Amino acid sequence: MTRTITVEHLTRVEGHGGITVVLDGNEISKVDFDVFEGIRLFEGLVRGRTIEDVTQICSRICAICSHGHSVSSLQALENALGVTVTPQTRRLRDLAYQGANIESHALHVFVLALPDLMGHSSVISLAGVVPDAVKMALRLKKLGNTIQEIVGGRAIHPINYVIGGFGRVPSTDELLSLKPQIREGLEDCKRALEVLRTVPVPDFVNEPIRCAAVAPEDEAFFFGNFMEILDGGKRKRIPVGDYRTFTNEHLVSYSHAKHSLYEGRSYMVGSLPRLTLNGDRISGLARQVMDEFLKFPCANIVMNNIAQVVEMVYSVEHALHLIDEMCEAGYGPEKPVPYEVHACSGSAATEVPRGTLFYSYEIDSKGLIASADVITPTAQNLSNAEDQLRATVKQGLGAGASDSTIEQRLAIVARAYDPCISCSVHVMRV
Amino acid sequence: MKPKIGIYGLSGCWGEQIAILNCEDQLLDIVGAVDIVDFLGGSSVNDTESRLLISFVEGSVANAREEAKLRQVRDRSDLLVAVGSCACFGGISAMDPPKSRPEAIRAVYGKNGPAKSWDIGPHRPLSDFVKVDLAIPGCPMETTEFVRAVSALLNGDVPLMPTYPVCLECKMKEQECLLVVRGLPCAGPVTLAGCGARCPGYNIACIGCRGPVDEANMDSIEKIFQEKELPKEQIKLKLRVFAAPVLDKTEHRG
Repeated sequence: MTRTITVEHLTRVEGHGGITVVLDGNEISKVDFDVFEGIRLFEGLVRGRTIEDVTQICSRICAICSHGHSVSSLQALENALGVTVTPQTRRLRDLAYQGANIESHALHVFVLALPDLMGHSSVISLAGVVPDAVKMALRLKKLGNTIQEIVGGRAIHPINYVIGGFGRVPSTDELLSLKPQIREGLEDCKRALEVLRTVPVPDFVNEPIRCAAVAPEDEAFFFGNFMEILDGGKRKRIPVGDYRTFTNEHLVSYSHAKHSLYEGRSYMVGSLPRLTLNGDRISGLARQVMDEFLKFPCANIVMNNIAQVVEMVYSVEHALHLIDEMCEAGYGPEKPVPYEVHACSGSAATEVPRGTLFYSYEIDSKGLIASADVITPTAQNLSNAEDQLRATVKQGLGAGASDSTIEQRLAIVARAYDPCISCSVHVMRV
Repeated sequence: MKPKIGIYGLSGCWGEQIAILNCEDQLLDIVGAVDIVDFLGGSSVNDTESRLLISFVEGSVANAREEAKLRQVRDRSDLLVAVGSCACFGGISAMDPPKSRPEAIRAVYGKNGPAKSWDIGPHRPLSDFVKVDLAIPGCPMETTEFVRAVSALLNGDVPLMPTYPVCLECKMKEQECLLVVRGLPCAGPVTLAGCGARCPGYNIACIGCRGPVDEANMDSIEKIFQEKELPKEQIKLKLRVFAAPVLDKTEHRG
């Protein structure tokens, strides 16, 4: 006899999606991560737009990663046009990425996921029990937004990023105004850790995770020219320009989003993969937290929430470091690096809060977009999420869990990816 | 009893729901003043039946499922507020594709097209389907406008929204004119104000994300574009990025 376990509408995630599991006795015949967010066809919209306009349009793919979309789009355009930005521009963009990471992780861990771990339905009911923890999370979120706003001109859909640099480089006063706020943020991180030490992290699923991330170049943890995947203990390197051989996107009938497989199997991008691959590069408090909470390789997907906390601490510390570095190097106004329009093409990948984001453009001789391709982290993670959801059902059934318990666990596993479903349906290829 | 409110997202980038969550300094006060009873993005237990004083809806309507959701929300709400340019004008997903819509869909999902029962309609603003009591435009909306609107609506008032262009705010800030002085393709003269002329403050020409101002003088701005040797059709193209469905209606009227 067949029966179905469904999470009809995933809550506390960005966008609209659900999970359908079909069981035949104790055999799993189907696990689908359905995405029913309306198709927005960005893909069809940017062709013929100017290289100056395209970044502002693509930013609208996703609110919470809008700084990541903007900078990734610009890096693809700059790689195409042969533009090399100044070290200061690179550091300012890196700073904005730290802000995005702080904001996004604070929101996900404390507002969206923590209610699960503490047995609440929302942060609102959580605020009644642990008001200080919620206030602390809101302060960290605000810090992340303030950093993004000062660098990018607006917290959501930034306006200040242009090819070769910035519309207006933030003033020294604006930059320095961040320092005391970041120091307070570090104290809040310590408070966050106290909260975390009291929260049991569920470990009802134990399924190896195939990790992938951009290989960091110089100090920037989130930027690089190579993709790395950890496969059976071995690292494989793929140039970012060859990303299509890596993501291998394909359509599935039940979802508005495409799925990705590398060499026929799913992989995961995001905080846990980044730390699995590159955690040895971080130091300071973030390193202590990582050593305290995480053991690699980690086969419990729910620990991605903890990896996000480690990264949040890293980003607070790194933000302070970046500001000091920029000041030592002689911070000041700069004009964007000029460029000449010509027919060309280029790709870029950066690490945004939810994982690797790929951008690729072909530009015609008039500086108009001839083709564009964007692959978001959530789209890449959908196949892996299905594997993990399948393992969750299997292990739940094996342990004699009820269907309603399995349903709750499915939602917790899906949420652990911090999926951005609105992003995932805007995969483009024109 | 505290007034009940609901927060909803149709097709969009979640910018307004994130913007609401970005009111970090006011969020706990708002939660203290109202009961947010229906908010899929924030809670896994939601009341989908009871009467709401205010519903905030972001995103555009792209399919029958979303239309039904919107009508249901309208029926149970005293006041419905469209938040963000997608809800107010159709937004960026409603901008003109370079080719026909079926071709654009094939370009993305391959020659066999999208799967089985996919419901893929064009993106429309909320007002095409239901009565909208207040529209807060912007991509994203400014958090200050949201907080002001909540406070006014809770006190039985309707907030006064700007009816003048971004250009005016820019002049008030005494910023150098990007269009006239620097010859940049700025949509400030024909775009609704309320952002404090944010983009021009960063030397970035306004992209029209708050939608067109009523009775925008398109002839005049096209003339300035021509004088500045900017393609004159560029100004309409710019406005169509965020508000194509609304502009189509205005043109049919005129």
